[in-house]
Amino acid sequence: MISVRGLRKHYQVHQRPPGLKAALRSLVHRSYTTVKAVDGISFDIRPGERVGFLGPNGAGKTTTLKVLSGLLHPSDGEVTVDGHVPQKREEAFLKKIMLVMGQKQQLLWDLPPAETFELNRAIYDVPQAQYKKTISDLIELLEIGDLIVKPTRQLSLGERMKCELAAALIHQPRVLFLDEPTIGLDVAMQATMRTFIKEYNEKYGATLILTSHYMDDVAALCPRVIVIDKGLLSYDGGLDALVQRVRPEKRVVLRLSEEVDAARLSSLGRVVTHESGTAVLQVQQEAVNATVTRALSTLPVMDLTVENAPLEEVMSELFAESKARRTAASEPVPA
Amino acid sequence: MKVKRYLRLLGIQLKASGLLSLQYRADFFTEGLTSLFWTFTALAPLFVVYSERPNLEGWSFGEALLVVGWFTLLQGILEGAINPSLTGVVEHIRKGTLDFVLLKPADAQFLVSTQRFQPWRAFNVLTGVGLFVYAFMHLGRWPSVTGLLASVLLLGTSTLLLYSLWILTVSAAFFVVRVDNLTYLFTSIFDFARWPSSVFQGVGRGVLTLVFTYVIPLALMTTFPAQAMLGRLPPQSLVGAVVGAGLFAWGSRQVWLRSIRRYTSASS
Repeated sequence: MISVRGLRKHYQVHQRPPGLKAALRSLVHRSYTTVKAVDGISFDIRPGERVGFLGPNGAGKTTTLKVLSGLLHPSDGEVTVDGHVPQKREEAFLKKIMLVMGQKQQLLWDLPPAETFELNRAIYDVPQAQYKKTISDLIELLEIGDLIVKPTRQLSLGERMKCELAAALIHQPRVLFLDEPTIGLDVAMQATMRTFIKEYNEKYGATLILTSHYMDDVAALCPRVIVIDKGLLSYDGGLDALVQRVRPEKRVVLRLSEEVDAARLSSLGRVVTHESGTAVLQVQQEAVNATVTRALSTLPVMDLTVENAPLEEVMSELFAESKARRTAASEPVPA
Repeated sequence: MKVKRYLRLLGIQLKASGLLSLQYRADFFTEGLTSLFWTFTALAPLFVVYSERPNLEGWSFGEALLVVGWFTLLQGILEGAINPSLTGVVEHIRKGTLDFVLLKPADAQFLVSTQRFQPWRAFNVLTGVGLFVYAFMHLGRWPSVTGLLASVLLLGTSTLLLYSLWILTVSAAFFVVRVDNLTYLFTSIFDFARWPSSVFQGVGRGVLTLVFTYVIPLALMTTFPAQAMLGRLPPQSLVGAVVGAGLFAWGSRQVWLRSIRRYTSASS
């Protein structure tokens, strides 16, 4: 469905140091630096897959999505989406895709969302009967029946985002790019959006690429993740396998009926946290069984669970690792 | 088929703008009043100039009034149908929401050019027509049928020229991001169009007249249609206006397409 080979996107950015003198100088002589937003990544995505793009801010996620949706011309490399070259922006291609951006909106600000829906119906040439069916499905799934007749500016962020999503799906895109669709939403609304996105993917078999800062989004939606860092691909595979690789240790969470000496806990494994009757231990995977048995026999345990490290931690560790590698590589070799 | 689709799209965009302006009914009255006010301020210099002499570079008062009429009418079209949409483009570029326009399977120039209308500005168009009637009453005669037909044709070319000039201005927004100053410059230059172009003959040995005919074709927009109404426009000028406007529109389209290609959208 999607094929990316050696994608590069470099920008020329004008740079100048702060201060009036530098500002005046830059009027005459400008210095440019090249920003390598994406620096040679390759991957394939099958029809109907749900893939999460992960990476710190400025990693190149949004740039990649924009190249895939035809908004940016790649500096180098080959990209095809369902047989189309995105940058040509052919009508047939544009009718198959959609990009939803959590931080930008396409809804007409002063008019009710229903007007934007109608406009999109005309732009995408959606037959009237199909439009009615789709829109009533969307209204039901997203529970926006009474929202779409209010002017957009009167809606809350969450309500607006639901209507944004509906506006984006009127033409039933086969490929959906979601750039932080849940940003700024409360936990309940995030969950609603996730459920809806998953249902859409399953119902229409749409291919889905998602970027998000909320790891819960990725964990709930994407069996496969692609990690991009500083424009380079640093991981492509299952989410579970990624966690295994970066943080093979497990976490044993103990709820204790009475206070326990810190030394007794640390004899079992590394203590991550220990407060008000709950202790979290980090232990090697192969030691989990032994630790659990010992904990149950030696400590006043009320409840015990074994978990993976939180995704946020896994990610920050992964990014820290690659940063350390980069710094090491760029340091001059002592003579 | 394609034309039908775009006409339908235009209809929907017009409907949305109509709905929007109906929400602000008070605008109709303020628009009307400001339009009247500006028309009279536009006429004031004309009265001053013609109180001293009966004739200015071959234009009598009544004839010069026709030029002001065309200026007012075109201003109505500019501010009612061209300006609102294209100012919206600048906003789109700054906020990065032009992305959504480019994602749509329809011509981006068409979509941005039709996104917003201000129907109340039709008041200016009516004022322009009123000025025509008054001018001809003052002249004591009526235009010929061919003269009228030619001026209607020139209305088309003038609108096309204005629109193309705006597209060029807006295209600049892709390179400099802030085009507020450019749009002010445009409006102030357009102000020259309220005078018959021959008025500027004395300035810099006619250089200004040349500039306003060929570089920024203001003469084509207001002086030509007024001349056509008076039956004074040579046929070759009419042909020149049509061909010129067509070329200008084509050129601005090329610049727009090039600018879109350069567009790299504000960083997320």
